[in-house]
Amino acid sequence: MRDLFFIVFLAGMFGLGLKRPFILVLVYSYIDIVSPQRLSYYLLNSIPISLLAFAAALGGWLVLDDKADCRFSRRQGIMLLLLLYCGYTTLHADFPVEAMAKWDWVWKALLFAIFLPLTLRTKLRIEALALVMVLCAGTIIITGGIKTALGGGGYGSLNLMVDNNSGLYEGSIISTVAIAIIPLILHLANHGTIFPPSRWVRLFAYGFCGACLLIPIGTEARTGLVCAVILAGMMWWHTRRRMLYAGLGALALLIAIPFLPSSFTERMDTISEYQADESASTRIQVWMWTLDYVRHNPLGGGFDDYLANSFTYQTVQKTETADSVKVERITVTDRGRAFHSSYFEMLGEQGIPGLMLWLTLNLGTLVQSARLYRRYRDTANAQYRWVAPFALAMAQGHIIYMIGSLFVGIAYQPFIFMMIALQIGATTYMRRRQREEDWRPIIAGGAVQTAR
Amino acid sequence: MIDTFSLLLTHGLIFLACWRLLGRDDLDREETGASIDFLGRRRSPPADERTTPGA
Repeated sequence: MRDLFFIVFLAGMFGLGLKRPFILVLVYSYIDIVSPQRLSYYLLNSIPISLLAFAAALGGWLVLDDKADCRFSRRQGIMLLLLLYCGYTTLHADFPVEAMAKWDWVWKALLFAIFLPLTLRTKLRIEALALVMVLCAGTIIITGGIKTALGGGGYGSLNLMVDNNSGLYEGSIISTVAIAIIPLILHLANHGTIFPPSRWVRLFAYGFCGACLLIPIGTEARTGLVCAVILAGMMWWHTRRRMLYAGLGALALLIAIPFLPSSFTERMDTISEYQADESASTRIQVWMWTLDYVRHNPLGGGFDDYLANSFTYQTVQKTETADSVKVERITVTDRGRAFHSSYFEMLGEQGIPGLMLWLTLNLGTLVQSARLYRRYRDTANAQYRWVAPFALAMAQGHIIYMIGSLFVGIAYQPFIFMMIALQIGATTYMRRRQREEDWRPIIAGGAVQTAR
Repeated sequence: MIDTFSLLLTHGLIFLACWRLLGRDDLDREETGASIDFLGRRRSPPADERTTPGA
């Protein structure tokens, strides 16, 4: 039944794409984020829908779309360099088979992110992509949010529709992404034109944001909680009545704490006790190993080179009895532990050049968002009132991503590359609009052409 | 049950959003006057193709 549903849905979407080719770009974004082939049981698994959708999106753009407004930005160039460099390290990888498996999806994510801004020529396209992206993530987040609210959460046990916890379906990743998209959801609810602001739109948006906040609770991913606290701080800073919202926030937190599952509060308590936590102490060991590895291999070891690590360390275990607490030091040996940080993932796999490119891309995205925000914050032009809140939402989402990245290996996450592509699209679009408005004919011939 | 509800809700909204895009001219073209091409030259669309941008 679910197979049939996806087939009807995709057929309908491809049908709409025949009328408006840009919708094919949205279809590929949907397939990349939701992965319907993983949610279906048989039918969709046997069809290469991802390839079909990409070919359709690219073909539609090449044949039917107007390319006069297309611009290739510096950040697209950086992504292209990163793609080429990842290809180089894959050819010289320490673990060629594993590296090739990761390369297989990373190159697609990067290529699509390079292509995407070329299609974002109008404001409505930017909005449509943002809307489809958050709704796609919502497929996973709303399920997780409702299950958490009904008491179905737990570390590694929250069922997000699939057993295979890769891509956005992994607990820590979806926690970071769920918090990162909250500003964008609120922006779309307030400034959207596809679903213009109304009582129902706001109701859905607030419910959606609630589900996003429940995801770190349901998955018990500590990174999500850190991200939520930072986002709350950033959003509070931009409110007009700071004291009122601070009071309301504190009150909401006090009311919410008794309803949190005890396993969640116990796990969150370990944030400050990293020595007693195997997961956290392993991370520090992996990071030290990565620094040492890069010292000897500054060009990186290719995808999944963390498989080479192995270390023995001691961790502290507390056993509580009725009248005492027994503290024991246990020796643990670990092999092939993942990086658990995007920064170290990039550094270990792509070396110093890869990390530099990736940092330039991410910091560039933040700087451009901040520039857009400052430029249009006080605009008198009603046409551009959406720009500053959009830029602010993108900046806040990206800061959350970069903080979540400290503890989660999401350096090549396709959803994040799409967020960067969306931001590039908005920047190039506004730059073009500004140039059009600033243009003045120098000679009489130009004036004649304008007046034509 | 929850999975089905979530799938129907989000997929319904995605489809509705794309359906609404069909009727929007500003999806593909929004310039009221001329645009500037990649060489910095001004390009004026024919008068009958000019449309107003969306809200």
